[in-house]
Amino acid sequence: MPSRIIEWIDQRFPLTSFVKHDLTDYPTPRNLSYWWNFGFLAGIVLVLQVATGIFLAMHYKADVAVSFDSIQHIMRDVNYGWLLRYMHATGASAFFFVIFIHMARTLYYGSYRAPRELLWWTGQGLLLLLMATAFMGYLLPWGQMSFWGATVITNLFRATPFIGDQVVIWLRGDYTVGDATLTRFFALHYLFPFLIIGGVLIHLVALHSVKSSNPSGIDLAAKDNIPFHPYFTIKDLYGLGVFLIVYSVFVFFMPDSLIEPANNIPANPMQTPNHIVPEWYFLPFYAILRSVPNMVGGVVAMGLSVMMFAFMPFLDRSRIPGGARYRPLYRLQYYLFLLDMLVLGYVGYVHPTDQTILVGQIATLCYFASFFFVPFISKMEERWLIKRGLPAEVVTLMKSESLEIEKRKLKHSRHNGVKS
Amino acid sequence: MNAFLKIAVLCSFSVYAWSSEVKLEKVTLENDVPAIERGAETLMNACHSCHGMKYIKYRDLLTFGMNKQKVDGWRADQSLDAPLLAQMSENDAMLAFAKVPPDLSLMTKARDGGVNYLYSYLLGYYTTAEGVTGNHIFPETKMPDPLGISGAATPEQRTEIQGQARDIVSFLAWAADPHEAERIRLGYYVIAYLLALTTLLYFVKKQIWSRLK
Ligand code: HEC
Repeated sequence: MPSRIIEWIDQRFPLTSFVKHDLTDYPTPRNLSYWWNFGFLAGIVLVLQVATGIFLAMHYKADVAVSFDSIQHIMRDVNYGWLLRYMHATGASAFFFVIFIHMARTLYYGSYRAPRELLWWTGQGLLLLLMATAFMGYLLPWGQMSFWGATVITNLFRATPFIGDQVVIWLRGDYTVGDATLTRFFALHYLFPFLIIGGVLIHLVALHSVKSSNPSGIDLAAKDNIPFHPYFTIKDLYGLGVFLIVYSVFVFFMPDSLIEPANNIPANPMQTPNHIVPEWYFLPFYAILRSVPNMVGGVVAMGLSVMMFAFMPFLDRSRIPGGARYRPLYRLQYYLFLLDMLVLGYVGYVHPTDQTILVGQIATLCYFASFFFVPFISKMEERWLIKRGLPAEVVTLMKSESLEIEKRKLKHSRHNGVKS
Repeated sequence: MNAFLKIAVLCSFSVYAWSSEVKLEKVTLENDVPAIERGAETLMNACHSCHGMKYIKYRDLLTFGMNKQKVDGWRADQSLDAPLLAQMSENDAMLAFAKVPPDLSLMTKARDGGVNYLYSYLLGYYTTAEGVTGNHIFPETKMPDPLGISGAATPEQRTEIQGQARDIVSFLAWAADPHEAERIRLGYYVIAYLLALTTLLYFVKKQIWSRLK
């Protein structure tokens, strides 16, 4: 009976071939390490956020007079409301944690390189959507940090040339962050996750067309690819178990460690908190914003700092496969970059003093320099490594790869020739 | 990539250490019903005249297991579903302190340092030789020493007031997060379940991957 139903469906919809192509038989490099689990984890966190978010929205009220109270109503009176809210608040941090590792993996192993540029850029778009969603969600509890964070960040749009003031009013729906801002942020906070889901589908279509990269950075021969199911379904599930343990420790035992105390004070437009900090996942970018003395410059620097990742496919000019694996200089650069991110995060967190501002400016410079020098260093490194002698397997690989490219070019020109 | 993890852990610890600047006294809370009931009682006597707790209803105290006679005494003719509002009106408070005493329902979560901050603040009052009262933790505070620690003459009195402060903070911590005990209990079950499940998944994974050669 079930097989007949499936047959019926298959005549009308490519169900079996879809499952085969994208799940059961989807060829996956067998050497993927656990760093490749994080894309799947991000998908799970997205589902968790949408699920908890929809139930929270059933009890939340977007109205400056009662928003703060409605959160307390959820925390105290709604059945397991505290669980929903802590899962959702912790989930936001978990989302960024998982995405940052996912990005760090891509950078380390050079997975952004041809032919995966579109995969990387759709990911970059998803990061922007995620940031916007998190930022708007943070306003909803209508605490002090919600209000002042939104005030500071919307105010940055004053840097828009000519129409800055109008843009800020347009964003807020009012001269200051207020009821109009809260209701529109709520509406958009509900919408954006569905845009993210759409973006994820595109991301996956791109992935399934170019397939996963792998730690060697080399497209493997067919014999080294194994079907996604059961090998990676089980590996992803095991990783999910480990992730859920860490997540649950936060949700059940230290849920307030990720919530600023000031956000447990209702928003008060008359009283600025003595220290406005964004959530931890925005800290490095916030530090870059504060490092530039001029506001327009700061906004441009911050925007660029998020977008820099998109340029990596152009910046990295080395032909040596495999990201940091065979490239000591790139590896060094990678670790220095991570260190720089942590320094920036710290600078973004503390109350600015002369020293931290200076440290922040140096770290900002290093941040952009580490992108700027990639083309030169990668080319130089390539020459140096070739002169020094690469492992035989890499050399054969580079040869076969350039052969591939030649072949592709040939095919392309022949194809064009036929056409014309 | 392991080096990255190590650095991340190290840095998160040091940020954590940097964030606490003021020296606060550490308080160990008690979370049994009698201690929290004592705290509620002291609060009703010493703080309720000025401070309200709008997210706590008298019924919540009963549900938690406090003595019905005591709760009835505190609420007098108010309904069980009335919140614990301050006895002093906001106008009177403005006249007296030029400030409305803040609501205490979320207080342990609304200050850096949390329960330790509150405990240290309540016990931070002192009297100078000139007879001026000050507070070490919050020097410019408008609140008069509510527990009388600055006037405590003997060590016994001090110990008694410290006990009161601890009870009050225990009560406030409960009030800020009434589901905490339930959350932690559930947390143990969830973690135990996940540990078992993940261990299982690990062995299934090993078994499945062993088919590859
Ligand atoms: C005579 C009125 C009065 C009494 C009684 C009183 N308070 Fe206050 N309390 C105030 C005022 C006024 C403030 C505001 C202080 C300020 O911000 O300067 C305040 C502030 C506070 C704060 C916030 C401090 C901060 O960091 O902003 C806490 C906590 C507090 N009181 C706890 C208590 C507790 C616990 C008691 C009972 C033991 C109590 N108060 C009794 C008037 C009072």
